[in-house]
Amino acid sequence: MKTEKIVELKNVWKIYQLGKVELIALKEISLEVAPDDFVTIMGASGSGKSTLLNMIGCLDSPSQGNVVLKGKDTSLLSEDQLSQLRGKTVGFIFQEFNLLPNLDALENVMLPMIFQGILLEERKKRARDLLISVGLEKRISHQPAELSGGERQRVAIARAFANDPELVIADEPTGNLDSTTGKKIMEILTDFHKKEGKTIVVVTHDPHIADYSEQIVNIKDGEIIVNHKQRGEVLWSK
Amino acid sequence: MEQINEYFKIALRNLRTRSLRSWLTILGIVIGIFLIISLLSLSEGVKKAINEQMEAMGGDMIMVMPGSEENIMGMMVGGEVLEKQDIIAIEKTKGVESVLIMSYRGIVARYKEEAKMVFLTGLPWDESLELLERYQGWNLLEGRWPVPGKREVAVGKQWVIDIFKEKIKVNQEIVMKGRKFKVVGILNSLGNKSDDSNIYLDIGLYQDLTGEKKGSARMAMVKIEQGLSPDKVAEDIKESLRETRKRRFGEDTADFAVITSEKMIGVTNNILGIIQTAIILFASIAILVGGIGITNTMFTSIRERTREIGIMKAIGAKNSAVLTIFLIEAGIIGLVGGTGGIVLGIICAKIVELYTQANPLFYFSISISPGLILFGLAFSVLTGSISGFFPARRAARLKPVEALRSYE
Repeated sequence: MKTEKIVELKNVWKIYQLGKVELIALKEISLEVAPDDFVTIMGASGSGKSTLLNMIGCLDSPSQGNVVLKGKDTSLLSEDQLSQLRGKTVGFIFQEFNLLPNLDALENVMLPMIFQGILLEERKKRARDLLISVGLEKRISHQPAELSGGERQRVAIARAFANDPELVIADEPTGNLDSTTGKKIMEILTDFHKKEGKTIVVVTHDPHIADYSEQIVNIKDGEIIVNHKQRGEVLWSK
Repeated sequence: MEQINEYFKIALRNLRTRSLRSWLTILGIVIGIFLIISLLSLSEGVKKAINEQMEAMGGDMIMVMPGSEENIMGMMVGGEVLEKQDIIAIEKTKGVESVLIMSYRGIVARYKEEAKMVFLTGLPWDESLELLERYQGWNLLEGRWPVPGKREVAVGKQWVIDIFKEKIKVNQEIVMKGRKFKVVGILNSLGNKSDDSNIYLDIGLYQDLTGEKKGSARMAMVKIEQGLSPDKVAEDIKESLRETRKRRFGEDTADFAVITSEKMIGVTNNILGIIQTAIILFASIAILVGGIGITNTMFTSIRERTREIGIMKAIGAKNSAVLTIFLIEAGIIGLVGGTGGIVLGIICAKIVELYTQANPLFYFSISISPGLILFGLAFSVLTGSISGFFPARRAARLKPVEALRSYE
């Protein structure tokens, strides 16, 4: 039994009010992400998987229920406290890369460290090391516009790991990439998981991506259908 | 502190990527500050020149001029004169120690190949020289005083500096209205460039040259007896002038301005104060419009960059970090605009100054105080920050997940 969880979702609901219609995006979700996990959340588009991912990453707040990040109930934290904790604990990788277009690769990777108050020398060194580890040593001072999709996503991965977070969450990280490049990206992520013991949560609708992970959560219409280990033990099923 | 430095860099880069729009926004502030700096330094210069002139006339003097007191400009440049009887009336008034009359007008003076418009001042040399030396501190730099009855003049110190390209020397001749006059003396500085640019000659000679009626004068300066109140003596002078006119023309309405030097300074400062208030008011409107420009640009840029803001917040930026970055951007727009406006304003005022000095009828130097520059800078940065505050706060309050969802 793993002791300290990184993120715990306790009976989380997310309801959007669209005019007079209520749209239930998440329904009674309980989920734990523990250190050393590699979880894939799968589901069709509109199933609520991205909303779930935003909950895990504490980017969004639930309509009901609690999200506990590093043992702290996020609803009790101020916006700034939450930003600080999130910036330190969680790294993000997005489908659209979401690099800042005005900053070069190195500066993009350094940015999360600025918000954590890490000093310039250390920032530079760590950002450079990270870019080298994702194979971008020759692209360090390139602007995002000068990089290919795969390269951009690698910068984004380096950025996600900048503050040495325990948890990295990736929303369709290969969604905008061809399959070869996508495979590379997944290998880099898997490497971080295996070599540095990072906890990773990936959202995808691509079953091949799920093959990399150890635990799969299937979601449909905002509800978890099944939560099982790869080729084995079913943890929870509806 | 180190973070502020980084935010500054980010803000600069954001401005640079939208450089055309940034410059246009900056231009809005430039215009406002430009107006304030150029007009205020000019009007402040005019004020200083007038005050210097007043001080040069000496403390407790009373000036008597024909024309209405309500119309100072008309009084200064109008064509009316004090008649001989008027002057006698002034001299006879109780409390008056001495009266110095003078006439003046602009005239074209020619020296060698050059011609310039200058002020010509006629004084009753015999009677007034002592007064001028005693109370106004006149003395000669070179040469001697003109002798009445001869075609001789004295000139101010500016004549040996820059009135003509070729500097004038004692015993050389200048030509006015086709007649030759010998420059016999050069005065030491009288304290202001305007007076130092004049030609001084005997009033008799002045009236021959200009055709002004003999015995009259454009203005009388009255020195009062020690210990008396200038205001009281001024009242008495007015009274006796009124009586004289009444006796002569049977009119009751006397058209005289009797002004103490103190009052004169007060009046000019009042006028310039009103002008300066108007300048600040109009320039403030220009700056307000510039400020609205900043607000508008910032709102637009936040809309465009919503996604970026979302990214920054997702990777750990606090609200205060986002707020700071946007405020710095607005502040930079204000600061650059202010600096540009100050530089342009000073250049413009300098050009006006050079132009007026090339034409020595009215000499003045612009007055650019460090206070004025500081005021311009502070005002522009403040405008920038205030204009940027609401957009910046909106940016800071965006929810990361909503901001990320927006597409450009």
